[in-house]
Amino acid sequence: MKRVITGNQAVAYGVILSRVEVISAYPITPQTTIVEELSELIASGRLNTRFLKVESEHSAMAALIGASTGGVRCFTATSSHGLAYMHEMLHWASGARLPIVMVNVNRAIGPPWNIWNDQSDSLSQRDTGWIQFYCENNQEVLDTILQAYRIAESVKLPVMVVLDAYVLSHTSEPVEIPSMDEVDAFLPPYCPEFPIDTQEPRSYSVIATPEHFFEFRYKVQKAMEEVPEVVKKVDNEFRARFGRGYGAIERYGKEEAEVLLITSGTVTSTSGIVIRKLIEKGRSVAGVKIKRFRPFPSEEIYKVIRGAKKLAVIDRNLSPGVGGIFAHELRASLYSGEERPEVFGFISGLGGRDITPDLIEEAIQYTWEHPRPEGEILWLGLKK
Amino acid sequence: MTKQFTFKGAPEMPTIPISLGDMVWNKTGTWRIQRPFYEDKAPPCNAACPAGNDIVAFIQKIAKEDFEGAWTILKEENPFPGICGRVCFHPCESKCNRGSFDEPISIHALERFVADFATSQHKKMKWMAEKGREKVAIIGSGPAGLSCAFHLTKLHYNVTVFESFSLSGGMLRLGIPSYRLPKDVLDREISDMEALGVEIRRGVTLGENLRLEDLKDYQAIFIAIGAHQSRGLGIPGEKRKNVFSGLDILRKINLNKRVKLGDKIAIIGGGNTAIDVARSVIRLGKKATILYRRSKEEMPAFEEEISEALEEGVKIRYLVNPIRIGQKDGLKRLECLRMELGEKDESGRRRPLPISNSNFFIEVEDVIVAAGEEIEVSFLPKGMEKKEGIVLTQKDGSTGVKGIFAGGDLTSNQRTVAHAIGSGKKAAMAIDCYFRDKDSEEAIRQTFIGEGPSISIFRYLHPGERVMDSHIVTFEELNMDYFESAKRQKESKRLIKERIKGFDEVTSTLTNSSAIEEAERCFNCGTCNECENCYVFCPDASILKRGEDLSHQVDYDFCKGCGICLTECPRGAISLEEEAR
Amino acid sequence: MKNMEIPLSENLGHGHLACAGCGAAISMRLTLKALGEKTVMVFPASCWSIIPGFWPYSSYRITAIHAGFVTGGATASGVRAALDIRGDHETLVTVWAGDGATFDIGLQALSGAAERNEDIIYICNDNEGYMNTGTQRSSATPYLAWTTTTPVMQPKENPKKDIMAIMADHQIPYAATATIAYPEDLIKKMEKAKKIRGSRFIHLLSPCPPGWRTPSEVSVKISRLAVRSRVFPLYEIENGRTYTIQEETRIVPVREYLKLQGRFSHLTEKDIEEIQKRVDDTWERLMKRARC
Repeated sequence: MKRVITGNQAVAYGVILSRVEVISAYPITPQTTIVEELSELIASGRLNTRFLKVESEHSAMAALIGASTGGVRCFTATSSHGLAYMHEMLHWASGARLPIVMVNVNRAIGPPWNIWNDQSDSLSQRDTGWIQFYCENNQEVLDTILQAYRIAESVKLPVMVVLDAYVLSHTSEPVEIPSMDEVDAFLPPYCPEFPIDTQEPRSYSVIATPEHFFEFRYKVQKAMEEVPEVVKKVDNEFRARFGRGYGAIERYGKEEAEVLLITSGTVTSTSGIVIRKLIEKGRSVAGVKIKRFRPFPSEEIYKVIRGAKKLAVIDRNLSPGVGGIFAHELRASLYSGEERPEVFGFISGLGGRDITPDLIEEAIQYTWEHPRPEGEILWLGLKK
Repeated sequence: MTKQFTFKGAPEMPTIPISLGDMVWNKTGTWRIQRPFYEDKAPPCNAACPAGNDIVAFIQKIAKEDFEGAWTILKEENPFPGICGRVCFHPCESKCNRGSFDEPISIHALERFVADFATSQHKKMKWMAEKGREKVAIIGSGPAGLSCAFHLTKLHYNVTVFESFSLSGGMLRLGIPSYRLPKDVLDREISDMEALGVEIRRGVTLGENLRLEDLKDYQAIFIAIGAHQSRGLGIPGEKRKNVFSGLDILRKINLNKRVKLGDKIAIIGGGNTAIDVARSVIRLGKKATILYRRSKEEMPAFEEEISEALEEGVKIRYLVNPIRIGQKDGLKRLECLRMELGEKDESGRRRPLPISNSNFFIEVEDVIVAAGEEIEVSFLPKGMEKKEGIVLTQKDGSTGVKGIFAGGDLTSNQRTVAHAIGSGKKAAMAIDCYFRDKDSEEAIRQTFIGEGPSISIFRYLHPGERVMDSHIVTFEELNMDYFESAKRQKESKRLIKERIKGFDEVTSTLTNSSAIEEAERCFNCGTCNECENCYVFCPDASILKRGEDLSHQVDYDFCKGCGICLTECPRGAISLEEEAR
Repeated sequence: MKNMEIPLSENLGHGHLACAGCGAAISMRLTLKALGEKTVMVFPASCWSIIPGFWPYSSYRITAIHAGFVTGGATASGVRAALDIRGDHETLVTVWAGDGATFDIGLQALSGAAERNEDIIYICNDNEGYMNTGTQRSSATPYLAWTTTTPVMQPKENPKKDIMAIMADHQIPYAATATIAYPEDLIKKMEKAKKIRGSRFIHLLSPCPPGWRTPSEVSVKISRLAVRSRVFPLYEIENGRTYTIQEETRIVPVREYLKLQGRFSHLTEKDIEEIQKRVDDTWERLMKRARC
């Protein structure tokens, strides 16, 4: 069934179709319509779900940790400050190996207060052990949620599904909504590895000394290393069932290109228009959309950058003292690879400033014209 | 589930830090620097009882409504619970720790209750004398002699008691009036003795129709002939007509013989005999005045007896000493001196000193002298001399003559029924040691309750059982947090005007519920009564319940030695020692 | 003196790492006897994250979920939701949190859970300080007590937070105080709480020998004196309104309670009088609330 819905509505559909059993969330702009939508659907009896209207985001994640340990499929959504508040519990969810799925609507973290699109919130959680997917459109948002539960429950790591504030969350797009039966065939019920059994009581998250802690962290890394395979498998199956697939990254544009534009989120859509236009003008340029940020898709990237001399990265985020995070991770990743293209790290659009086609073109132009970037950070669209 | 785990590597570990086993392999007992242990200690009542009763144990049984069990415990140590429960001066109650909290336990009344219960159930001892074992002759069937007979028979010896009088019991029958000790109670406890296997031959008197040489078939002899001679005052007029001895009067009354007395009677003396005489005289419808040369505090008679006597109308004049008994117009005229108290004498009491020129006269119809009893030793063998009023013996009761032991009033100035019973018990142990060639002093010392001199024959017969440390539990060592003030149960007494009409018993036995209520007041000092505080409060669940007898044990694998069990034990039955490392 | 009637099951196993004489160990042992095996207990960070032992071992014979310090009320809400969704309405969901996690850092989550009337029993094991981290003050530390962050020169200047009043004002069905010297009362209250639906709060006072500077053997005695001196009265509040006080007849001056504890050994006579006054005032206040 195709409907024209906002990103937040698409999230709500994704959650319902996944037969989520416990939701625990706290309102924050621009996530609010997700929880409002879900409240209505649950109240109408369409979903046998408990919605805990907790008193903070930290408690939201803590409640899900409790619920997931209790053996049910869980969900929450947040953004920006809420995500930051949850930080301690993000580590916990991952260390406890709980297959929780969370939607984060990318919004800037203040001060100054700013409610608009910015990737700094989710990216600043990149060390917490969560798998992260960045979505380009509302269809992808819904689809990624469905896939996320399969992936999470398979590798036993939590998954964060990210969409842009307002650009996706509050913007309507046509979305194909699968039927419940179709999704049930794809997503079986959750079977926890260590269900609570009061007849055989056990203690969860017991304190571990240096004798054992190291190995438990090693296991988390090992699980992360399984993710690329699992994502591929799940995505292939999804494609077979629903006719749509995404991969960890997606390359588009000219087959052989000297300049590759690396983007994530909705910027990719805008970039697509620009790159098409430039190719028509005869430029050797292509684009790479990074969907799966964690674990970083190094292998996949090595494959698609063959032959490219320059990589232009557009980061809608800033790690002060380092620069754009996608660029930073890309450079680190390339160090282990064989190719050594130049990386031009552009930062743009912080706090919701529009990244227009003109700006994107400017970035590509700059990349084209310069043998190497003039600095670690290239500020795009900044009023100097 | 007490496995210990080792992992070679990550693949062997579960995905999450979920517990795989328990901590029971972790013996936290290794943390201890001090170790608690259950140790029964001597309660002050047991230690104070001259008869060596296991008071705390028999009271515990009453509290559990096991009256038969209580009787068994009493009869282990004491053949005469019914008698002691009526006439004993209960030093146990003076030492009772409950007295420091509200009021002491009515131990005396509880002992009587148990004996009367057994009577109502027609309980009897079983035959225990064994043919072919040594024979012991006992001279005197008073409490000392019969106690010795009792314990020797329980040790399976053959005992024959030779009683001078036609009836057995000694002072129990002849000295103590029926209103304190009914004759049927006495008879029953003595017949129980005979059921055990003791042979009593009455009307056989040493020095008259019995000589020591006649006893050569007996391997040992215990002489407990008591003190039945009335001590004279040594004043002029003492030998006149109608100056009677208190012992004679009591004997006549106890044998139901007629006693002819005038209306106004003076009784000279301050001990129990004087009181008994006075109260008996009242019951004969006469007026009685006791003349005592010291003050009330020094009177040796039991306090309760004194107050009951006063209730019944006996008059007591203190600090009065008759110096001459005259006669005038058919009346006795006692010339008396007033006394004052000086320094303490050997008995620890202040010496009475006459006030010169304080002479005054008292006129009465009869005078009864009850100034003490003396022993008669003329027929006793060499080696058994009288010194300072008694026959001296070794600590174990043996005399200068081999094979002859002595005890009771004959050998001691502590002249109470309880002491006599204790003395007979000690002699039985000593005689057993004599036959077995054992060191009797050591053996007796091993049976001390507290630091002695009270002894337990149970400990003699079953060393290592019911072990009780010699430390006597003080009030400070108890935990009063677990006790609430409660009314002391007392025996009811008949109305005074009823009492003095005759010689029927003054007090009556406690009811079952009263006895249980009173027994529940007992702190059980020093003895575990399974209240389970230790079990409840142990932070490490290291008090194990074993079930049945003495049910608790410290689990030393896990006990950390915190000492909470000791603090919360209401009765000081747990001790602490340094952990040996 | 009748024996105390205590359930016999042991749900805290041997070999645990509590200090000798730990009042909380007695609290835990008695609580688990009352709650039984069909219990899930959430443990935000406290001594009880350590006491049951290190991985792979645990002394708990009930299901235990260790959780973040802040999160007692929230994690338990999630567990409850999960069990309910799975159709299990019998398994008890409980929280065992220290005073730090209850009065301070976890107060928000507790308040949230109570406001939602989550069907959990929240047990605050109050040893009046952050004892697991070495005796720092919490808002449960009593007035003028020494702790490492309220040294003798500047002992705690603020009174203990009245957590029971806070919980009562959430209008939860049941709140109660209990302590180890009154085991039957503690167990009775746990069993009563078990039968009620909605948020239940039990405030346990657990003496801590190293934190209170007391010898290990007096933990039960001190807990009794706390009640008898009215420092820690035993009472229940139902629906935020109905008070039932377990009257202690043997009242002692607060001095008797204070003198056994090293953490109060610096008090002057004036301090003790002030404390007595405050104890009396607090008792009066409780009586007033109880009467309304």
